[in-house]
Amino acid sequence: MGVSDTYNRGRELFVEDPVRAVIVVVAVLLLLDFVRQLAVGATEFSEFGVMLKDGLMRGLFFGLAGIGLSMTYSILNFANFSHGDLITGGAFGGMIATYVIAGGFGSEGDIGALMLLGSGGSVFGSQLGIGVATSPAAVVAGVVIAGATAIALALVIDRLVYKPIRDRSGITLLITSIGVAFTLRYLILFVFDGSRRGVTQSGAVPTVGIPAIDGTVSLNLHEVSLVVVSVGLMAGLHFLLQRTKLGKAMRAMSDNEDLARITGIPTERIVTYTWIIGAGLAGVAGYMFVIWNGTLHWFQGWILLLPIFAAVILGGIGSIYGAILGGLVIGLTMSISIMWLPSGLTRAAAFFIMIVVLLVRPQGIFAGRATA
Amino acid sequence: MSEATDSGADAEGTVGGANRETHTWQDSLLAVRNLDAGYGDLQILTDVDLDVRDGEYVTIVGPNGAGKSTVMKSVFGLTNRMAGTIEFNGEDITDTQPEEIIYEGLGYVPQNDNIFTTLSVQENLEMGAYILDEVPQDAIEDVYNRFPILRERQGQKAGTMSGGQRQMLAMGRALMLDPDLLLLDEPSAGLAPDLVDDMFDRIDGINDDGTAVLMVEQNAKEALGRCDRGYVLVDGKNRYEDTGDALLADDQVRQDFLGG
Repeated sequence: MGVSDTYNRGRELFVEDPVRAVIVVVAVLLLLDFVRQLAVGATEFSEFGVMLKDGLMRGLFFGLAGIGLSMTYSILNFANFSHGDLITGGAFGGMIATYVIAGGFGSEGDIGALMLLGSGGSVFGSQLGIGVATSPAAVVAGVVIAGATAIALALVIDRLVYKPIRDRSGITLLITSIGVAFTLRYLILFVFDGSRRGVTQSGAVPTVGIPAIDGTVSLNLHEVSLVVVSVGLMAGLHFLLQRTKLGKAMRAMSDNEDLARITGIPTERIVTYTWIIGAGLAGVAGYMFVIWNGTLHWFQGWILLLPIFAAVILGGIGSIYGAILGGLVIGLTMSISIMWLPSGLTRAAAFFIMIVVLLVRPQGIFAGRATA
Repeated sequence: MSEATDSGADAEGTVGGANRETHTWQDSLLAVRNLDAGYGDLQILTDVDLDVRDGEYVTIVGPNGAGKSTVMKSVFGLTNRMAGTIEFNGEDITDTQPEEIIYEGLGYVPQNDNIFTTLSVQENLEMGAYILDEVPQDAIEDVYNRFPILRERQGQKAGTMSGGQRQMLAMGRALMLDPDLLLLDEPSAGLAPDLVDDMFDRIDGINDDGTAVLMVEQNAKEALGRCDRGYVLVDGKNRYEDTGDALLADDQVRQDFLGG
């Protein structure tokens, strides 16, 4: 009886919803193989710990950077393709401050070279001893300036480009934002050159080993910093949205703009705050990514934009919490999929997961366009 | 019901039937004059006159597509006003932006999408008083006393409530600033029949407490029976205007708009 019931239910699921059924079967197989790999030592526990840690880092970055993208979508109603270059712009702006301060305002190298981040190979970040432990003041200033740079860029661009076409369709704004993205990116290339520069003194980052069952997982100060900054900002944003008048007004406007207007909510001011918060988080995320990753280059934000979009869509575009959760899913998929896939395919795996989630839940994990 | 019909309407009322002429008053709270309005280039309203006096309860009825809702949207600056004026409390608000109108002492409950579905009940009410520096706890308390079900649901997401509860929340939100005039667009739409009377009773209550009401209703018999005055709008133009009872008693109005 019991067996045939189960069998019948299984058959019904396959007939009625084959996509979901296949996903369930594949997920179970992967889980079994995961246990097998750990059991026979094909993947060591410590290796898996490293994957988990890397995925978490990447995921937090995607989440933090994705919040702004989701906010512009829900409040300004368009997919902002220049968001990636706000990330790059913020990272460059913050890093200039770091170079100048770590370089003793010109005492350890020409101030011009410092401000161009050693364009052409004149100054290197490792010489300047850049790192959270070695130059904490320069890094803290860098975080702040990174946010400020991205905010300034976003507000100037909004005033010059987006505000005049605020009433146009989302497609017009999307295509315009691609133009803005290219302009920003090539301006950065023109000023700072196209090299991929190492910016931190990677040997000087304090590291601890966390014992795992069959080895250790190393954890360095830059990783911890990324976690602290991202989680701190996410918690702050949560407080802002749920507890403050501004946050509630932002949620109200993303929920129903017409009603927000007749309630007396000043919509243009809310738009300004949306840019400030979204771009600020993007700039800080970009800077922290560079500190974590150790390198900086002109199209960094652009190549990160696609997984960030994937994260935001996966989480339910328009939702802040969806962006964070989506970021973690994409980040963890990218690093853990290496247990089954060649390293060149991990990015593809992340997008594949996005497609699978959307097949099952087309509106994303956090449904609808609610910022809440 | 107040005695809003003592002066103008009776004196000039046509014998044995509803007025075909529109009156204008000098002491109006809301005075719409010769209004042409629509959306984009599409004109819906032509030469519409409408008055609401202090504390009065006025209804607009008429067939579908007559432009009833457009009158309300125009007052709130949500249409393209092509000609005419709208005055409130003696002040010209014809070109006032939607987000500024609320400062004048007007509250508006649109027909659809009239609550923030993803915000809690309490947060919806707080948004109703957005223009104040502090959330007025006594106003929230007043709304909860008027609609006790909202107090029970205060932490709940507004979108999860029933149609009647949503309508109460929308009215509560619009009452947060204690407006002089409340605009209600089809408050009975989508309500279960047994809730409609209750809703009209609550609107009577709001009016009895001194708030003037301008209401658009498809449930014309009920609305005219309860209001002080009514306007019949057809094809975006004024057709009849009189006391609610006179309109209900008029053979022509009954035959054309009330189904006999």
